[in-house]
Amino acid sequence: MRNRDWSEAEATGMSRSDPGHEHEAALIERIQRGERELFYELIRPYEKRVFVIAFTILRNEADAEDAAQDAFLKAFKYLGQFRAESRFSTWLIQVTINEARLRQRKSHLEIMRPIEDQENEDGTYTPRDFADWREIPSEALERREIREKLVAALGSLAQKYREVFVLRDVEHMSIEDTAQALGISPGAVKTRLLRARLMLRDLLSPGLEGIWAGHSQIPKGPKPWS
Amino acid sequence: MVVKCDDVWREISNYFEGDLDPALKRAMEEHFAQCRHCESVRDGVRNVIELYGDKAMFTLPAGFYPRLRDRLADQVEGQKGSSLGWLLGAAATAALATLALFATVRDRSLPQPRAQMSQPARRLPQRLVAIVDGGKTFHVPGCPFMHGKYHMVTPDEAVREGYAPCNRCMHEALRSAGNATPEFEGEEIVSRETAAK
Repeated sequence: MRNRDWSEAEATGMSRSDPGHEHEAALIERIQRGERELFYELIRPYEKRVFVIAFTILRNEADAEDAAQDAFLKAFKYLGQFRAESRFSTWLIQVTINEARLRQRKSHLEIMRPIEDQENEDGTYTPRDFADWREIPSEALERREIREKLVAALGSLAQKYREVFVLRDVEHMSIEDTAQALGISPGAVKTRLLRARLMLRDLLSPGLEGIWAGHSQIPKGPKPWS
Repeated sequence: MVVKCDDVWREISNYFEGDLDPALKRAMEEHFAQCRHCESVRDGVRNVIELYGDKAMFTLPAGFYPRLRDRLADQVEGQKGSSLGWLLGAAATAALATLALFATVRDRSLPQPRAQMSQPARRLPQRLVAIVDGGKTFHVPGCPFMHGKYHMVTPDEAVREGYAPCNRCMHEALRSAGNATPEFEGEEIVSRETAAK
């Protein structure tokens, strides 16, 4: 099922409401006072989100699960230091990103960092393919190989684009929350988001023998942004 | 307002964010109607956003929740929440029960103590007794063997909480109780062994 409707009216709002902020604040206060088991209730809405973010950074399911568990443990340990100045979800995602990046550094995955990571963001991105796109039915996601190829395409982007894209377009966080979670400006979020969307579009494009053209691999060779 | 393809590509993301000046948005839509390339860019970006934003795109690995719960249990609940904790707890309980049973059987098989001080108390005074903080015995208030801070409880409470009578001051008190001194009147305390007989 599509969870977005790109009608004209819809184009003006993409925010997804978080669980009630007041309810969360009350839960956090009770946990800090000793009702520790309420922590499960506090994190329940974010379990999948934390895993997906860790997975997007680490690109490995087992590592992502470990990182997610560590992130929740750290969140529990340092919950006493959480201040209601920011949303709990944003704070939790910051903890998750830090945990995943730390794990990544430890496993020396940065050696495999794509070359476009050093790319200057100020340069304009030119779409490479202009083949006609039909609307892709969401039922396509029921096919495992389609999902795997979408994941592979996302994984081929540089980390800074993956991080922004997953927070905004996968987890539907606002531009402001995304910027806060990543410690960058809203303008940088928008720039990276534009590039990430256009790169993914080209990677998946029918005209570039993307997955919709019936071929089994993400196109190889030089990427349009390199 | 007229826009070029470059303008469209630069603003296509903001178009989907709804973060455009109305005039620019209108100009872009007029451009889409005339430019197949930009229409392709718009449709492709829309598909990307919709597909990756679909809830079905990412799924949690099987067994994620129980593993997470198990990992958190030690911190959040202490040992009781983890399966390992449950096993340890059950083993400890079984061991304690075995020890208690062994101690009871062993206790019944032993001869009763003969020394006067070791005999079960026949009566405990009903006035309050003193328990020194951190100590293991209870005393008659004013006992010279009391040191440090103390608090007052009834003798029944002291026995129930596992404190033993002071061998010196309580011995004197019990002897006085044997003389039926009114101030030490109280209910008779009968040991389990005595009751069994």
